[in-house]
Amino acid sequence: MVPADQQSLILETVGLRKRFGGVLAVNGVDLSVPPGDIRAIIGPNGAGKTTLFNLITGDLAHDTGRIRFEGEEVSGLQPHQLCRRGMGRTFQITSIFRRLTALENVQTALIAHHRRHFNLLARAGRLYRDDAAGLLDRVGLLEQARKPSGILAHGDQRRLELAIALAGAPRLLLLDEPTAGMAPRERHEIMALVARIAADTGLTIVFTEHDMDVVFAVARRITVLHQGSVLADGPPAAVRANADVQRVYLGQRAAP
Amino acid sequence: MRPSRWLGLLAVVLALAPFALPPFFLQLLTEIAIVGLFATAFNLLMGFGGMVSFGHAAYFALGAYAPALLVKRAGLPMLLALPAAPLVAAAGALFFGFFIVRLSHTYFAMLSLAFAQIVFTVIFKWKALTGGDDGLLDVWPPALLKSPAAYYYFTLAIVALSLAALHAIVASPFGYALRSVRENPRRARFIGINVRRHQLVAFVISGAFSGVAGGLFAFYNGSVFPDFAYFTKSFEPLVVALLGGVQSFFGPLTGAFGFKILEWLVSRQWPVYWPLFLGIIVVLVIVVLPQGFVGLAGGRRLWSRLTSKA
Amino acid sequence: MSGLSVGMFLFLVSVGMSLIFGVTRIVNLAHGSLYMVGAYLMVTLVEVLPDRSWSFWLALLLAPLGVAALGGLIEMGLLRRIYGRDPLMQLILTFGLILVIGTLVLLAWGPDNKSVSRPEALAGSVQVFGQPFPSYYLLVLGLAPAVAVGLWLIFYRTRWGMLIRAATVDREMLGTLGVNVAALYTQVFVFGSWLAGLGGALAAPTVAVALGMDGDVLTTAFVVVVIGGLGSFAGSFISALLVGLLQSFGILIFPAVSIVLLFAIMAIVLIVRPWGLLGRPEE
Repeated sequence: MVPADQQSLILETVGLRKRFGGVLAVNGVDLSVPPGDIRAIIGPNGAGKTTLFNLITGDLAHDTGRIRFEGEEVSGLQPHQLCRRGMGRTFQITSIFRRLTALENVQTALIAHHRRHFNLLARAGRLYRDDAAGLLDRVGLLEQARKPSGILAHGDQRRLELAIALAGAPRLLLLDEPTAGMAPRERHEIMALVARIAADTGLTIVFTEHDMDVVFAVARRITVLHQGSVLADGPPAAVRANADVQRVYLGQRAAP
Repeated sequence: MRPSRWLGLLAVVLALAPFALPPFFLQLLTEIAIVGLFATAFNLLMGFGGMVSFGHAAYFALGAYAPALLVKRAGLPMLLALPAAPLVAAAGALFFGFFIVRLSHTYFAMLSLAFAQIVFTVIFKWKALTGGDDGLLDVWPPALLKSPAAYYYFTLAIVALSLAALHAIVASPFGYALRSVRENPRRARFIGINVRRHQLVAFVISGAFSGVAGGLFAFYNGSVFPDFAYFTKSFEPLVVALLGGVQSFFGPLTGAFGFKILEWLVSRQWPVYWPLFLGIIVVLVIVVLPQGFVGLAGGRRLWSRLTSKA
Repeated sequence: MSGLSVGMFLFLVSVGMSLIFGVTRIVNLAHGSLYMVGAYLMVTLVEVLPDRSWSFWLALLLAPLGVAALGGLIEMGLLRRIYGRDPLMQLILTFGLILVIGTLVLLAWGPDNKSVSRPEALAGSVQVFGQPFPSYYLLVLGLAPAVAVGLWLIFYRTRWGMLIRAATVDREMLGTLGVNVAALYTQVFVFGSWLAGLGGALAAPTVAVALGMDGDVLTTAFVVVVIGGLGSFAGSFISALLVGLLQSFGILIFPAVSIVLLFAIMAIVLIVRPWGLLGRPEE
């Protein structure tokens, strides 16, 4: 299950643990993600998926354990530092710059990526306009470029967030429930888009998801979390056949 | 008319003012320009940065006292002393801002207020250096710039340059990033921005230009007093910016114009009533605007499209 | 010794401010103004009441009630409309009130300083540790702990007090339990105003009753409340004592530094532990 050479992993967590008061939100999670993987992290609500993401991206400090990105220890680094190293992220609740236009959103991300965000002299409106338009086109938002992003439809906002994350030219992209709030067809569309981009650029994707159809359509590997620990980890077919997973999920699936 | 044409027209009107208006109105316009600069510098933080400071009088006062002290104690001429205004104010903003940006919202406001009170108290108590509550008197511009018309032009020039700089900053990559920090600090972090550092730089820039306003005011007024740093002074740019519109670049300047005219009209008839009037306006503006800042932004959107490029 | 009594005035003002914040989450910047109104009302009442031995005490009783009424007006007329709004807007509104109240006081009483004479019974001084000590301060030193004990009894032994304490922890919960939270807010604000008014009325014979009283007390009370913890009764008590002592002794030893020191301490508290020594952290 775990690749032989540790150095070739793009993301690795070892024994990650996080406690909130009396609750052990993440309880000894070992994760090994090779480059180019499309990894789905699934589990019932409260299984610790978002907490895990927050630990990896530096939003939260872990209690014990190790996090390695591209072979280097990154515990304790702040989010903006991790971003610079090549980690990108989208959030469960759409996180964009609402009063900026879609184009400005991506331009700002590009400006930051190229480390020009302390430049006091240039006219930002002209910077990286073409690159930003290109990214918007990639996610299918070119027509909405000039609209204030706050008024875009929910699905389009999520696409925009994807474009923002991609602007940083990440090598690892963490997507926290990227299809939340979308209709089933749009869910497949957006994850197919993500998979296409990943295939074109060699980007590694780790995403959380509740819709099993989407997961099985896109993921190369699945990690199942349950009450903060890894319940199962492997290719989709193996996970689907796993008895523990079926037991845990059978209960969840029946729920409305 | 396009915004640049409005500005051109305004520039012509302002340039011709001394030929048409009596000195009193020139002085009023001078004050408007100074308050407008102070409020615009303040609004860099509030409208564009999303940080509301209740202690900006500190930087205004530092900007007033620094050149005044150089002129009175070191005998420097005004033109050499004036550059100290933004420098000292920026230094103060850097020192205080380092601590202030670690907090947010109400605590940010409270800490900024506390630091402003420290500045006030230091100025007040350090009588030997600052003259305490007697202030520093006879802080006048050189003879060439002493007449109302001359100082008016001088102020206009400095304010115009400062506003141009601030406008460039707002439209720059720094400004874009600052707005992104205001909109969504978490997302800003995840495009690689060190939020605290960015806010600190904005704080320093805002403090520096507030200092310029303070320096201009010192020589306009002819004297400096500790109450330049008192907390009530900190509310002036806030009220002015709110009145004029915080979401547009020229909003605070417009607000300054309206504010000063109102102040003149009310103080002329009933000098005692001005703080009452101001207080009532503030209370009404807040109670009547249903959505606070957002409502203000919505209502002003049309106006801001007319007047800003930000 | 006088530091302790200064601490007591501060305590009365601070605990009111802290209380109001604890329940309504509004930092009432106009609290210093309420204190000032209490002092000015004292001036008028002492003048207006017949020259008897009990008139001072009657004035002391009535002045805070007047301020409480004013507080009620403010809460019902204005604050009610802005609960739940951006806290900074609320701060700005209470700041606007400073201007309004300050001007009204000026209009009503004029710009000159006023004074209130101490009641005959307490006009002299007594010997404490070989130093002459103004007798009036004995009243303050006696009254303030009585008030503190009274407050403690109210908060910990009455149902109303329990509601208040619950509200400082979780207002929404209280609402869902069927408590009339709006009425509670009004009551708390009125009570907090009464406390400020009492502070002003008590302080009137000891200080110059003048415009600008509001700013001085506000800034110091603010420091006290932040250090002690917004919303913490015990915190305000301890903090007020400390600040009062620090101010008085500081003035003796390092006159120039003492107030700066105070604000520096406040700044440090805000940086290291923004919810104060005994307050409760919130998100």
